[in-house]
Amino acid sequence: MTPVLRLNSMTKRFGARTILDGISMSVVPGEIVCFIGPSGTGKSTLLRCVNGLEGIQGGEIIFEGQRVEAHARSIAAVRKRVGMIFQHFNLYPHLTALQNVMLAPVVVHKEPKAVVEERARALFEKVRLSHRIDAYPSQLSGGEQQRVAIARALAANPHLLMFDEPTSALDPETVGDVLAVMRDLAQEGRTMLVVTHEIRFAADVGTRMVFVDKGQIVEDADPREMLANPKTDRARQFLNSIHA
Amino acid sequence: MSMDLLAYVPLLLRATGTTLWLSWLAVLIGVVGGTLLALLRISRWRTLRILALLYTEFFRSIPILIVMFFSYFGMPLLLGVDLSPFAAATIALALHASSTMSEVVRAGIQSVGRGQWEAAQSSGMGYIQVMRHIIGPQAIRVVLPPSVGILITTVKESSLASVIGYIELTRTGLLIRESTDGGFAPLLALAFLYFLINYAISLGGGALERRFHIGRRSDLVGAMA
Repeated sequence: MTPVLRLNSMTKRFGARTILDGISMSVVPGEIVCFIGPSGTGKSTLLRCVNGLEGIQGGEIIFEGQRVEAHARSIAAVRKRVGMIFQHFNLYPHLTALQNVMLAPVVVHKEPKAVVEERARALFEKVRLSHRIDAYPSQLSGGEQQRVAIARALAANPHLLMFDEPTSALDPETVGDVLAVMRDLAQEGRTMLVVTHEIRFAADVGTRMVFVDKGQIVEDADPREMLANPKTDRARQFLNSIHA
Repeated sequence: MSMDLLAYVPLLLRATGTTLWLSWLAVLIGVVGGTLLALLRISRWRTLRILALLYTEFFRSIPILIVMFFSYFGMPLLLGVDLSPFAAATIALALHASSTMSEVVRAGIQSVGRGQWEAAQSSGMGYIQVMRHIIGPQAIRVVLPPSVGILITTVKESSLASVIGYIELTRTGLLIRESTDGGFAPLLALAFLYFLINYAISLGGGALERRFHIGRRSDLVGAMA
């Protein structure tokens, strides 16, 4: 199968600090890749490089056959096909939930409003928030905001969904709602990259688990396989530390 | 005397209109210029940033009266351009207003968190789309209150145009004072009219602010109360 995304020895530096050090991997359609690893090892940066929020200093990123270049005009074409969900939701506070979801399809994709609204309403049903459609973000709980953010990302019919620690900023009781929505998306066969600390979710839903440490991919395996039998000491130590 | 002054009321009202027109025009140019300057101040190009900063610092630091003298007396000498007192006053006030506005707009834009930029860019929006749909509407809440202040200040500063011979409200009042008995009544009338203008602007600004506060925490409190 042709990969959706290919990273070829991608390197990211902030000044003298190397954040990602020669990352290579491919993602094929339908894969749900969960990135795990200690904080500050570059997992989030990896996602941010894929849609050009960060530029890279070495190697290359190929998305659907197109080279990703952070500061080139061509980046907009990539971003139109990649949905991003942020740790802190980043909903637009001056717009209602519905307007948040409709904005990009109308403004960026130039779709007719009526078509977009119909799709948006269906998406609110999917994320189980039909009753909150006219609320402003400040009136929503964290879990609700994140589900609106997921609907917003889905509204543009992306070919790849990226979740950057989607549940890390949530109250424990709302984490489940967000994970449930993500499970549904996984069952639809969507291609997803998920940076998460929810190991159980990663094991249940992920088709692949990538352990990242110090800017490198240390282990890349089937989730259950990695949890049961980590091949490296570093992965074993990390998994032990979070199981405890 | 009070009868005398009553006869001048139409003249004072017309002069009020003149002052409003002058101030409005200067602030309008100031808002457009200040916004452009603010965008330059936060642009990716260092040279543009520095130029905008120099402009801002320069016109913020020089008394408007001196800028007015330069544009009225200096322009004919330097460039051979003769400016009417109205044009000279408008230019001077607009230069000053734009330098103040640029700081206000810059603060407004920078008050919107990085996450908003990132979410908007991630959805494929370009710079202008992000500014128009995401940053602008949020920045305006921060920009509006000090902008009202700048408009009020400009109305008061427009009285300086009387010095280069433009007959606006202050000048009109002083002329009336000269042609009557030189009492305080015309000055009181001036003070009252300036107060009226600026109080109206203040009220209008307050109403606008409430309109733009959609989606804020205060709405939530209001909705729950």
